[in-house]
Amino acid sequence: MNDLVRVVRQQYSVLKAVAFATYKEWSVYRSHSMVSIFVGPVYFLVQYFIWKAVYNTHVSISGLSLEQMITYFAIASLINYIIMDFADWNLQMLIHTGKFLTFVLRPMSHVYFAFSQKVGHRILGVIFEFIPLFLIFTFILNIRLVPAQPFWAVISIALGFIMMFLVDYCVGITAFWLTRTSGVRRMFLLLRDICSGVLVPLTLFPVFLQKAFFILPFQFITYVPIRVFIGSYELGGYSCTIPQIIAVQAVAVLFMTAFTILFYKQGMKQFTGVGA
Amino acid sequence: MRRSIRLYFMALKNSFASRITYRADFFFSSVMIFISELFIPFITVLIYKTGASFPGWAVEEILLLQGIFLLSRGMANLLFFGLVWNTLNRVREGSYDILLIKPASTLFLSVATNLEPDSIGVAACGLLVSFYSFTLLPAPGITDILLFLFLFVLSLAMLFAFALLMAGSVFKWVGNSRIYEIFDSIASFGNYPRSIFSRGFQTIISYIIPIAAVGFLPASVLLGKRPEGILTTAAVCLLFLLVSGGFWKLMLRQYTSAGG
Amino acid sequence: MAIMKIKELRKTYLTHERGSSFLDSLKSLVKRKIVRVEALKGISFDVDEGEMLGLLGPNGAGKSTTLKILTGVLYPTSGEAEIMGYVPWVKRKQYVAGIGAVFGQKSQLIWDIPPLDSFEMNRAIYNIPTEMYKKRLSGMVELLEVGGHVKKPTRQLSLGERMKCEFIMAMLHDPKIVFLDEPTIGLDVIAKERIREFILEMNRKGTTFVLTTHDLDDVEKMARRVIVVNSGEIVYDDNMDALCRFFGNRKLVNLATQKPLPDFSNMSGVFVRNMITPHNAELELDTDILELNQFIKLMNDDYILSDLTMKPPQIESVIKELYITTNKTTIK
Repeated sequence: MNDLVRVVRQQYSVLKAVAFATYKEWSVYRSHSMVSIFVGPVYFLVQYFIWKAVYNTHVSISGLSLEQMITYFAIASLINYIIMDFADWNLQMLIHTGKFLTFVLRPMSHVYFAFSQKVGHRILGVIFEFIPLFLIFTFILNIRLVPAQPFWAVISIALGFIMMFLVDYCVGITAFWLTRTSGVRRMFLLLRDICSGVLVPLTLFPVFLQKAFFILPFQFITYVPIRVFIGSYELGGYSCTIPQIIAVQAVAVLFMTAFTILFYKQGMKQFTGVGA
Repeated sequence: MRRSIRLYFMALKNSFASRITYRADFFFSSVMIFISELFIPFITVLIYKTGASFPGWAVEEILLLQGIFLLSRGMANLLFFGLVWNTLNRVREGSYDILLIKPASTLFLSVATNLEPDSIGVAACGLLVSFYSFTLLPAPGITDILLFLFLFVLSLAMLFAFALLMAGSVFKWVGNSRIYEIFDSIASFGNYPRSIFSRGFQTIISYIIPIAAVGFLPASVLLGKRPEGILTTAAVCLLFLLVSGGFWKLMLRQYTSAGG
Repeated sequence: MAIMKIKELRKTYLTHERGSSFLDSLKSLVKRKIVRVEALKGISFDVDEGEMLGLLGPNGAGKSTTLKILTGVLYPTSGEAEIMGYVPWVKRKQYVAGIGAVFGQKSQLIWDIPPLDSFEMNRAIYNIPTEMYKKRLSGMVELLEVGGHVKKPTRQLSLGERMKCEFIMAMLHDPKIVFLDEPTIGLDVIAKERIREFILEMNRKGTTFVLTTHDLDDVEKMARRVIVVNSGEIVYDDNMDALCRFFGNRKLVNLATQKPLPDFSNMSGVFVRNMITPHNAELELDTDILELNQFIKLMNDDYILSDLTMKPPQIESVIKELYITTNKTTIK
């Protein structure tokens, strides 16, 4: 038991140290993240006008009212600033430049290192992107952004945070085998963005696609957290209660974690030339 | 001038040739870009499928607008938008100086040393979407076509002005790779009919930051709609280009005199 | 006591041969020709605790492969290694906690923040006790004279200052063995000197170093023992002085005479390096064949000496010869 406490404490201090270094590293560029304060509202305004025009003749589109639709986009853009990362880009860069070697020489797994980096990077994102945007959306654009069930919303966003990392990191792992990954990365990121519901609500798609989205890991990144935030979940004709869908999300994250670790081990075998 | 044009085409050829070294990735990447650019037209179709619409616009009319918007973006990306990334990376790494010591126009070199072959996917997607919707629509008259061509060239000039603004600002705002998002967010106004926006925004995108000139104006003309203020917008575009050019020059001069 | 025991390490890569023409690449989609590359053909050596070993070899000789295997980054095809009681590529994480590595061309420091922050990060990763961390940090900062630099962002440091910080980064956790790959590449003379002194000082305090480099100065000034690898095999393994005697007892002679010199082609034991003028030449003399006093006598009698200087042969020419001759034998 004591051993376990020691290990957890040690892992926590590693996470803290790496996150802190990353936070410092990126805070040099905090003026860059403040681009979001301009870009976020502009993208949102375009969506606002689009849907206002479209709803001119309709009260409800794919089960959402205009107000719900607008809220959906506001939440999607906010959540995105909490959970986004470049884990895929970063890993393939390290592998292709050979810098990955220096991580193999450290007594920790790079998956955990990269995750800790993301934590530091996103703490910066919350301070310089999420909070200002939340205030702009709430007080200037007058959108009500209070989660239906705050506790579940936080859990679901946290799970989305992990899921996004795992998916992106797995895309990066492909660089162990491929010398050029821009095509593969584009494909997965496209798939991720479409299927995660960050661009439009998934219920807008034909039902057969919605059913496909249901079994893919991507909806757990953004779509599920948004629906949990709103307080009702529905996709492909299924609807569940909030705790139910979060349970499903948690299982999906566990499954994806296992997959990532296996895939990473496979990648490390390639990198270290096992059996060659 | 002749030499520059020859150099430019050589650069274009070389950039394709070197990208083709990894032909599988190049092909795959272009196809992926093609598919991802289809997304907005696809969503538009989905919206119209639910029975909803943008007031006053049929689905094929919107598709033509979005197709033409994509086509200008694609051509801009392929032919000169690399200027932004090139300047960004070179200023960050300190290799911009290499361009300054070569015996040709710095602007020309900044463009020609970084063309983006992958963007062929964007242009192809735009071409396909425009062509598809074009066949569903009544044929435009000859004056409309001529006016369209003029406005299309104008839209490229407008995008070039944007590229100059961004390239100019990364001399100062070193390494800010997110500058493109600023452009992208503003440009997204051009993807839809001007009439859906509020009065204030309509004025902004027509006469202040004339992004309506990219996509919306050329498409409207081709559709036989004569939106108001074409000439004014055209004039604003040219002014915009001049100002951007001046801004770029100013920033370059500051960069070179700062030294180091 | 041997801290490192390496036995019969082999590494064979299988790579696909890729044609250059378009047609070749189309063919390669269907059927690819597999090429076997023997990077290491069975190398064995031991390293004692506290040693300073230089690993030399031309490009592609197998140096980096060896280094990668020894640091646990690469699995060998066959062979054994035991370093500090570990097999490096098994239980890699535990193993690398006890070693350090500096790669001249791959930075471990974080570019945009001061080295001190990167050090703090490594303190957590290597779980270094606070007391020891402080002590080692201040000791190394003092030794390398980088007190004013560790608080500046890495990107503002000169290459020399950065490399010094790389050493601190790699050695904070008090590794028993440190692997160095081209540690002085691109540095100016003063920075090189300082870093070499640092390495020697750490070596005196008991750290074992394994150094691969192209800079023969590094080897000459630091290593006491040299292993030369060529074409995947060890072609030389002994101390530095012996290396200089490897090709017999040679001396570099600069000779000036009053009468014009002959072309030396029929004088055994003498090799012309450079005929500067008819009266002045640089020669290499093999004293096993022709003794020195004999040579001087011969020269003075026939051509009348006006000046004569002598140097031991430069390590460079010895190494060059070693590379070339061993290549010939492996081709055979």
